Amino acid sequence: MTERITVTGSGAVYPASALCAGVALWWALTELGDIPPFLLPAPDAVVARLAGNPELYLVNALYTLEKVVYGGAIGIGAGIALAAFVAYVPWFRRAVYPYLVTVRVLPKLAIAPLLLIYLGTGMTTAIVFVALITFFPLVLNTAAGLDRTPTAHHYLLRSVDAGPIERILYVDVPYAIPDIFAGLKQSVTLAVVGAVVAEWVVADNGLGFLILMGSENVRPDVMLAALVVLLLVGLALYGIVVLVQRRVHERLGLEVLD
Amino acid sequence: MIDLENVDVAFDDFTAVANVDLGIDDGEFVTVVGPSGCGKTTLLRAIGGLQEPTAGRVTIDDRAPSVAQEVGDIGFVFQQHTLLPWKSALENVVFLRKMADKPPDREGAHALLETMGLDGFEDARPAALSGGMKQRVAIARAIHLGADVLLMDEPFGELDEITRDELGVEIRSLWRRERKTIVFVTHSVPEAVFLGDRCVVMRDQPGRIEATFDIDLPGPRDTESLGSQAFQEQVAAVRQTLHESYD
Ligand SMILES: Nc1ncnc2c1ncn2[C@@H]1O[C@H](COP(=O)(O)OP(=O)(O)OP(=O)(O)O)[C@@H](O)[C@H]1O
Ligand SMILES: [Mg+2]
Repeated sequence: MTERITVTGSGAVYPASALCAGVALWWALTELGDIPPFLLPAPDAVVARLAGNPELYLVNALYTLEKVVYGGAIGIGAGIALAAFVAYVPWFRRAVYPYLVTVRVLPKLAIAPLLLIYLGTGMTTAIVFVALITFFPLVLNTAAGLDRTPTAHHYLLRSVDAGPIERILYVDVPYAIPDIFAGLKQSVTLAVVGAVVAEWVVADNGLGFLILMGSENVRPDVMLAALVVLLLVGLALYGIVVLVQRRVHERLGLEVLD
Repeated sequence: MIDLENVDVAFDDFTAVANVDLGIDDGEFVTVVGPSGCGKTTLLRAIGGLQEPTAGRVTIDDRAPSVAQEVGDIGFVFQQHTLLPWKSALENVVFLRKMADKPPDREGAHALLETMGLDGFEDARPAALSGGMKQRVAIARAIHLGADVLLMDEPFGELDEITRDELGVEIRSLWRRERKTIVFVTHSVPEAVFLGDRCVVMRDQPGRIEATFDIDLPGPRDTESLGSQAFQEQVAAVRQTLHESYD
């Protein structure tokens, strides 16, 4: 399997220091620079905003999370299912795969307004949009992963007359695991992006909506507070994928790459 | 009884194996030597039912190789070891038998790994094994399958000379004990002579059988017979045929 240099625990010192430096720089800029607070509030003002009304941010984070989870689940499920078809149904692969690859260059965000027309301004549009945006990385990565099994392994299984189900379950899927996780990592990141964009276009709740309102009312402190929560949501989701990946890779004895 | 009648294997317009006639009796140990690319692997696959001949016929006990596949009667050792990277040595050995729907025999697998000089490495994953150890696991896996026919494609390719000799002796004694039918591909003439009762010499373009030698060595075959007069003479004879076909 692929080998990579893994960052050990003590390596966290560097990114942590960088974060502190960044926040310090931000603070210095507001303190020493000539920037009015209504344009760039100080870090402590943002923290105060968060602490002052935690429910607002929590409730809206849950709204955003709802779109991410439902949309993501549908997109990921559909992506894996389609990848299986691409990998195992030759005519389907020939007909569809070129388009799947081509569509990669299309910015999926541009589809949002179109969905608005077809599905209206409700939750459905947001979920479908998130599903759509998470779907592509999963199809492409999973299909590539399912192709990864060396031909000699297929010969091995054929030599004892093992069926396609056994081959897929015991050989192809384990070989595809690293690719599936690579797809999942891209998908969770995109799911959050998708949810925020959907909230700009159709929703009347969620962190994206909060940011939009903050913008309309020129309240950068609200916007920054929402961004911080959004960042935490995104990191948490990504972290869950990494944790699950670690466990699965450990079970399979694969190198963990992140 | 394995029977090949006028077997051709062609890929598009390239003929890899042409006109091969070969009968192998039950319990026979046949070795195949020939230059690289002469079609040894292709021939072995045709015997094992992994490569449909474009002409001619392959049968095992008068039936298609696929019938032997179904009952788990063909044990392959491939040129590449084909171990599953996420399974331990022991799990890899057990796996093939499971895929063949045969009753599990973990103890047998354990004992086998031990005879192959791999005790202590049962739980090691392939990444933690040397090339030669991986090949030994692959051989153990094929033997553990319990097939009557063993098809081995340069299984000692990555081994050092001493291990090769030792494993050769080991395979010979296994064959004597269990009376398997073995087809063993190699590009080493001494190995082919040492192991086989019969040695098939192939030539290339297109791959075909140049000559067949009955190997007759007095006494049991062990590392000592490698130095014997009879052995050296047989090796020289096979080598000469191989070189003549090369010019
Ligand atoms: N699937 C395939 N498609 C096209 N050509 C093939 C295929 N498999 C083998 N060949 C060709 O058939 C010839 C014989 O190949 P084969 O692998 O049987 O040789 P070999 O005797 O096993 O060689 P080596 O000793 O290097 O393993 C080669 O020229 C090879 O390029
Ligand atoms: Mg070969």
